[in-house]
Amino acid sequence: MTHAVKHHPGIPLLEQYVEGTLEADVALAVAAHIDLCPHCQQLCQDLAVEQGTQLQLMEPMDTNTSEPDWQAMMDSIIAESPDTAELPKQHKGPVTVHWKDKTFQVPRALARLVEQQTKWTQLGSIANNKLPAGDKRHVSLLYIDKDTAIPQHTHLGIEITLVLSGAIVDEQGQYGVGDILINTPDDTHTPRTLPDQDCLCLSVLSAPLKFNKGFTRLLNPLQHFFY
Amino acid sequence: MLLNSQPIQGHYGSSKLKSDTIQPMNDESTTNTRTGQWEDALSYVAVNQDKAAYAELFSYFAPRLKAFGMKMFGNEQQALEMVQDTMLNVWRKARLFDPTRGCASTWIFTIARNVRFDMLRKKQSRKDDISADDLWYDGNYPEQEDSGSHNWDTLLMAEKVAPHFARLPEAQRQVMTKVYLEEKSHQEVSDELAIPLGTVKSRIRLALDRLREALDDTRS
Repeated sequence: MTHAVKHHPGIPLLEQYVEGTLEADVALAVAAHIDLCPHCQQLCQDLAVEQGTQLQLMEPMDTNTSEPDWQAMMDSIIAESPDTAELPKQHKGPVTVHWKDKTFQVPRALARLVEQQTKWTQLGSIANNKLPAGDKRHVSLLYIDKDTAIPQHTHLGIEITLVLSGAIVDEQGQYGVGDILINTPDDTHTPRTLPDQDCLCLSVLSAPLKFNKGFTRLLNPLQHFFY
Repeated sequence: MLLNSQPIQGHYGSSKLKSDTIQPMNDESTTNTRTGQWEDALSYVAVNQDKAAYAELFSYFAPRLKAFGMKMFGNEQQALEMVQDTMLNVWRKARLFDPTRGCASTWIFTIARNVRFDMLRKKQSRKDDISADDLWYDGNYPEQEDSGSHNWDTLLMAEKVAPHFARLPEAQRQVMTKVYLEEKSHQEVSDELAIPLGTVKSRIRLALDRLREALDDTRS
């Protein structure tokens, strides 16, 4: 099977996403990946069918002691008039984000959040736009200019990166649009952009990065920039 | 048994669709549902706001949604709030259900999931934050061809696949065994296992993807 996106979330992660049990900020990165990945769209549809079948085959609750008043609940529901609003609301044009003179299109899942906020902070060849999302984790758009390396770092928590434009290369390989990278505290890497192409990513971090090498350790006080 | 005194059959008689395709609610219906029954019922609700068809959906799904809610919330009050909100959406938005896109049970599950998700977010007073509408697209992604399944037929028998095959989730392995080893049609498997045809197809695709993942590890 050919699909342009090569790095996907694992099936257990997709399962939790479909169930709705994945934490919201991680689910957001997965949702944005799915918007870009026909393969995972199909898988998630299949997983939803599975969940629906499980619901249909579920034993109804045996609650002899406190059977709810179903009839009253149903009566109150059918007293409401049907929704006459027009069909789905989610079909808007593509949403874009701007950094200096560049324009990037963002996936549907990020559209509402991106529209709420575009405040960039810049540090050298890198710019960060923190989105109003995330509980325990920090969700931001990260712009990295061409031919730029992010110094080698360790993750104090989990780091999820979804490429939205351009590409990232690290010790493990190259990641293009739609590819998702998940790094755990055990992973150390030195991501960089291609010599002739800048990059926009979605970054979800559960803890600040820790820079490991020489002078870049001086960046550690600037952790909050990435986080 | 709840609601079984409703004159369900009579109401369907007045509908435009053929009434003989609908079975009355009875005690056996909890284990024995006809293919397409809930999809038809949703269409009645969508087209005629048919209360009898809705009563049938309600009496089947509400107690199951409650069980689902108890599993998710561990709290009866919240579980029932989820049931009420979900079943209200089923009533009010029935015409948004598109039978060409999937089963009624899938649609109802996704509504319940989204209701539950937004309930939890609201409780954490994060109304402006990520919502179910952001996470789950309620529309059609462009169609893609259903490729990839067939060239697996030969590979499936290969030694490499066998150990992974054994580790598939039971539900998927059962379907895969019937389709690939016993060479049954998808419809036959659906009938034998009393699961919707869509579920048979989904289980096959999921199982193939798991096998693909096991052999060719490109997932994070």
